[in-house]
Amino acid sequence: MNFSKKPLITFRDVSKWYGEYRALSSISADVHKGEVVVVCGPSGSGKSTLIRTVNRLEEIQSGAIHFDGKDVHASSVDINKFRSQVGFVFQSFNLFPHLSVAQNIMLGPVNVRKQRRAEARTRALELLDRVGLASKVDAFPGQLSGGQQQRVAIARALAMDPPVMLFDEPTSALDPEMVGEVLQVMKSLARDGMTMMCVTHEMNFAREVANRVWFMDQGSLVEVGVPDEFFSKPTSERARKFLSDLRTH
Amino acid sequence: MDSILLILRDYGTLLLVGQYPNGPLGGLAVTLLLSLLGLTLAFPIGVVMALARLSPFRWLRWPAIALVYVARGVPLLMFIFWVYFFVPLLIGRTVTGFTTMVVTLVIYQAAYLSEIVRSGIEGMPKGQAEAARALGLSYIQTMRRVILPQALYNMIPALVSQFVSTIKETSLGYVISVNEVTFAAMQINSSLMTQPFQVYFILAAIYFCLCFSLTQLARFLEGRITSRREGSRQSVVAVVSPSTTTTATAA
Repeated sequence: MNFSKKPLITFRDVSKWYGEYRALSSISADVHKGEVVVVCGPSGSGKSTLIRTVNRLEEIQSGAIHFDGKDVHASSVDINKFRSQVGFVFQSFNLFPHLSVAQNIMLGPVNVRKQRRAEARTRALELLDRVGLASKVDAFPGQLSGGQQQRVAIARALAMDPPVMLFDEPTSALDPEMVGEVLQVMKSLARDGMTMMCVTHEMNFAREVANRVWFMDQGSLVEVGVPDEFFSKPTSERARKFLSDLRTH
Repeated sequence: MDSILLILRDYGTLLLVGQYPNGPLGGLAVTLLLSLLGLTLAFPIGVVMALARLSPFRWLRWPAIALVYVARGVPLLMFIFWVYFFVPLLIGRTVTGFTTMVVTLVIYQAAYLSEIVRSGIEGMPKGQAEAARALGLSYIQTMRRVILPQALYNMIPALVSQFVSTIKETSLGYVISVNEVTFAAMQINSSLMTQPFQVYFILAAIYFCLCFSLTQLARFLEGRITSRREGSRQSVVAVVSPSTTTTATAA
């Protein structure tokens, strides 16, 4: 695949400590426009922490993250405006239970982008149609299954028309039979050329969709590779162990 | 029973509106007015104080904490005397008992309400605020659109108790001669001399009806919100899927 030369997201020597504990240590990597990056690794390896630093849900202590050339962690950044350009999907969906599905999706466009309600609702309906939930427009999150909630959460993130989508273990809280419907939506996004960074344990998704796999362990980015190579002949011992642990399950 | 009816016949208007329209408004009308002002002013101030207490800025947090500690550490009666005797010294002119009572109730109740609101906010799952901020909503928008609507709804029972106690606390106004319903009952009792049981029975019944209607109103409102949010859940489950596991999600 051909990606533009200039990366959309760059990590340079990114480190983060929780007190004495080093959660991220000197991470340097790039995400290019149109690229799908899957971040994998054992639990506690810092995958989620890393993805959360991109839209500053986590602060970093040293290094820099640039998004489209701008330093994300600079104090001059209008953080709300910046975050509205980065779609984020959580493991636990985090839909707003007091708002209907449509209101969940319209909240950002109406309050941040100052869109008219009618306009935002039309767009919400389009997005719901895209994730296959047009019939649930006036339902409340409590009435939906986990898979449906996560698809609404994806639609909610898409409503801001973000150039990049971040997924933080989007299928880990789902019952097995609902994982497929969420991955399906993510695959269709990837096909449409969305730049995506996904923390996930779904290795089949990585094999099928990812342009690049980042393997993390103990806060370090141990290995970066294209899926075929990563899965068939990982270069690091830790990645080999991780993959063989996965297969034994 | 007859004597209660007689008292109501002779003094009913005094209990309801005081000497109005021939004199100042009093009785139940003033109690209602005090309660209404107390609730409607104390509630928003309580929310603001809760936000101040949760603020990362010390200069916002500390005054709110101080006020809460003072209000909790001093009996309301003492508070009323303080406002009654010292505020005129401070501002250089006298204030009416009614104003004193409103100011006292608002400060006192706001302090208590702020603690309830604060615990409601702190009890919210972190993911809610994160999801709102990730969309680009500001802190204020996040509070207003996402956190407070849920936190306040969760705290309805505690808030209602506090509202009810506001109503009851208006009765302390009689010590600084605020002409509210307890004051009216005292007047009636001293002119009748012989029927304290009947007079105070009427008074108790009035307070009970007032507080009871407020709790019922709150229950009705809570029920309406609940059914709007999940009332159709049963029917949806029944239509879409007979399995209840589909709704057992991490909501």
